[in-house]
Amino acid sequence: MRDLCAAAIEAAAAAGAEYADARVVLKRDQLVATKNGIVDRMADAESEGIGVRVLVNGAWGFACDRRLTDEGAHNAATRAATFARAAAGRHSRALAPVEPRTARHESVVAQDPFAVPLADKVDLCLRADAALQHEDVVVRQVMVRTRREHKLLLSSEGTEVEQILTESGAGLDCAAARDGVFQLRSYPSAHVGSSCQSGWEYVEGLRLVEEAPRVAEQAAALVRAEPCPSGVTDVVLDADQVALQVHESVGHPTELDRVYGTEASYAGTSFLKPGDLGSLRYGSEHMNITADPTTPAGLGSFAFDDEGVPAEPAPVVERGRLTGFLTSRETAARIGSGSGGSMRADSWNRMPLVRMTNLHIEPGEGSLEELIAGVDEGIYMETNRSWSIDDKRLNFQFGTQIAWEIKRGRLGRMLRDATYTGITPEFWGTLDAVAGPDEWKLYGLTNCGKGQPGQSAHVSHGAAPARFRKVQVGVRT
Amino acid sequence: MTALEVARAALEAAGGEADAVARSERSGLARFADSEVHQPTLIENMVVTLRVVKGDRVGVATTNKIDAAGLAELARRAEAAAASAPVDESFPGLAPPSQSPQVEGYDETTAALDPGDQARLAATAIDAAGEIPVYGFFTSAKSVLAVASSTGVELEQRMTDATALVVAAAEGCSGYAEQTAWRADDVDPAAVTREASDKAARTKGAGALDPGVYRAVLEPYAFADLLDYFSHDSLGALGLLEKRSYLADRIGQQVADEKITIRDDPLDLHGLPKAFDFEGTPKHPVVLIEDGIARGVVWDRTTAARARNGASTTGHAGPVESRDWGPLPYSLTVSPGDAESVDELADLVGDGIYITRLHYLGVIDPRGGIVTGMTRDGTFRIRDGKLAEPLVNLRFTVSVPDMLRDVYGLTRRASLVNSQNFYGDRYPYGVLAPALATGRFAITGVGSKPGI
Repeated sequence: MRDLCAAAIEAAAAAGAEYADARVVLKRDQLVATKNGIVDRMADAESEGIGVRVLVNGAWGFACDRRLTDEGAHNAATRAATFARAAAGRHSRALAPVEPRTARHESVVAQDPFAVPLADKVDLCLRADAALQHEDVVVRQVMVRTRREHKLLLSSEGTEVEQILTESGAGLDCAAARDGVFQLRSYPSAHVGSSCQSGWEYVEGLRLVEEAPRVAEQAAALVRAEPCPSGVTDVVLDADQVALQVHESVGHPTELDRVYGTEASYAGTSFLKPGDLGSLRYGSEHMNITADPTTPAGLGSFAFDDEGVPAEPAPVVERGRLTGFLTSRETAARIGSGSGGSMRADSWNRMPLVRMTNLHIEPGEGSLEELIAGVDEGIYMETNRSWSIDDKRLNFQFGTQIAWEIKRGRLGRMLRDATYTGITPEFWGTLDAVAGPDEWKLYGLTNCGKGQPGQSAHVSHGAAPARFRKVQVGVRT
Repeated sequence: MTALEVARAALEAAGGEADAVARSERSGLARFADSEVHQPTLIENMVVTLRVVKGDRVGVATTNKIDAAGLAELARRAEAAAASAPVDESFPGLAPPSQSPQVEGYDETTAALDPGDQARLAATAIDAAGEIPVYGFFTSAKSVLAVASSTGVELEQRMTDATALVVAAAEGCSGYAEQTAWRADDVDPAAVTREASDKAARTKGAGALDPGVYRAVLEPYAFADLLDYFSHDSLGALGLLEKRSYLADRIGQQVADEKITIRDDPLDLHGLPKAFDFEGTPKHPVVLIEDGIARGVVWDRTTAARARNGASTTGHAGPVESRDWGPLPYSLTVSPGDAESVDELADLVGDGIYITRLHYLGVIDPRGGIVTGMTRDGTFRIRDGKLAEPLVNLRFTVSVPDMLRDVYGLTRRASLVNSQNFYGDRYPYGVLAPALATGRFAITGVGSKPGI
């Protein structure tokens, strides 16, 4: 791997690159998914290749090749330089300085998930599937997944970083249907369960089989529940939905490349401006958000990002005030602050982009019950179901799988089809409590999309239940 | 090696009952922002997925290591997966060999575009911009899909595709345009920029709008996006079997205005033609909604076998990354109407709103076909049958079937709207849609001004 990266960098320099980095990535993904008692998918995919990024006369170029050969490395480097040289624009780029490091890093794994026999994974899924059975449940789905990514980054500045990142994850979903009403329920999270940088011990700790009956009962109850009424009311969100809220309304808008407009043609821009740093009121004083790529077991954890910048935690919002952006070396230099550290590429065949790493809302104090006890009349919502937010990350509408009314500090009847909507800084301004460390959990998402060509990032969010006052619930027409 | 040779070699490595799907991609995408290329990506890859069948057990593995050792390892992993799989009595077996239709969809000129050409075409889009900076990309690709199986299937289709996409945007204004075709010569990047820039210039000074149900004109970009989302739950067999589909229990019923006919037409030259699916089943047009009446959904071998109602595959098994959705219509085609232009549709609407493009759609209730999202890059008020003042981005929450039940008209011309966002391996597909005038489009919130 090292020789190929070195050959690619040499070829890039010969082609006129003033800067080059080369990444060799070997990746394996394994997925077992069952549906309604049969194996629906057993995917075991390997992918490998080399990606070369160059700066030629200030312009970026990126090319890749699946062949891990001298020819493949040379081909990627020279094509990247050709593309950069032809790229239209003014091209005045600077990169924030980073000290070249040589290092090796590996995820902490107690039980290698690839050493667990496939038959055991199938068996776990089928046992959980059986535990989801219920007369009103029409679809039962269970999945377990593992990934190992072995990558080596070399740069023309002398960086040489090898990392082996291992992920494990699992989840279950069921859908109930009755009289034309269709409802979903998931555990531990919607959208392909939840994952961590961990071994098989994470999957075992989720206790899928034990949780399944409750999930099925709730799905069945939901098809008989009343729709959530519309109106302005107090809302308590569970940690899963808070994680999604942080992801969409804090994570994406604080990506500095979006602030500068480079995602305008696809994912969108940001309501934030570079000059907002240190002054913008993002939310109430209870709002503290930290980007931390050193979080143990976080999906966005690493020792060095894909530009070779060492991982370190950094505040993004402190007591409601914007104090940090997620940056690359290029955007950090442009704003004159920091040295990047959030650049990640989906695989060997994609260029690194500014991505979330692990973005957490810091815990407050107390329990979920205490948050609910502080609401005279309101709604408690649990587990994301739908999400939509505008291109500047201001106007959002999120829906949850399940909700309960809150009356005089206690949970009342179950409600279905709950949604809430708001404007990002106004909504975070209504935050008046975040539950304490005992309620704080790490959620791992594997479907964060960005870039053209598209890239899916794996990110984690630590979150605890939170309470918001006077929120628009349901659809306002 | 060609994709078909790789598929054959994988099959040989497996030795027994199996099928292999090989995909190759050679693509370039020059992405630009603020009138400067900033994310130029060249991709070369070949991926093969091998499915082996051991009695009633099935195992699947994928690799891009296509030398002899890589394919031997692929076969070993697929066989290990099959050995670990429980008996699957619903497995329909591998597709039999059959004659696939001869389709267009490959253009030598497009296939030959090199990085210099792709960068030049992106520059053409950039250079056509006026005072308003442009954001977007030009991309072109040659991709190949090949299927070989122990039952005798041996198929290969070469495809090309090209897209120019431009958002012209500055503080307080933005406009959007896009062109997609399988011939790059049919894509005019400068014209795309001019359309986006003209639209952007008209969005300055955008104002708010009270939530409510409005009559609306949707450009093909917006209409195609809504249909694409709706199709994932409602126009595929898996959604039907799992009762997520709006069409569940409604086949044969009037579900839309009689002006609405929606087909999946993989043979249409104006789309991105497809000859066969990822199981090696030949494709042919499928009527989904005809004159407003629900006629059916698309099927693959797996869903057809599970349905146990006489259904058969329509050739719509998708790529491995989309398997969770089951079979999908990758060539949605909406029959055009007789309006000569969007201006004529605005005249039919009289008082309402005009929507260019949508953003970040989310399905709230699949059974009801209810989708939410934001308008973007060109939203206007329609007054007295004419486009009037620009509007800020609006949140909508609409039932797609409700929107299609009250249709004033459709344009005579349909546009091919790209539906792939180039995640994973390249598989070009899109929606061929006219502009639509509807009597029901629910605005449920007000967002930010257009632009950067």
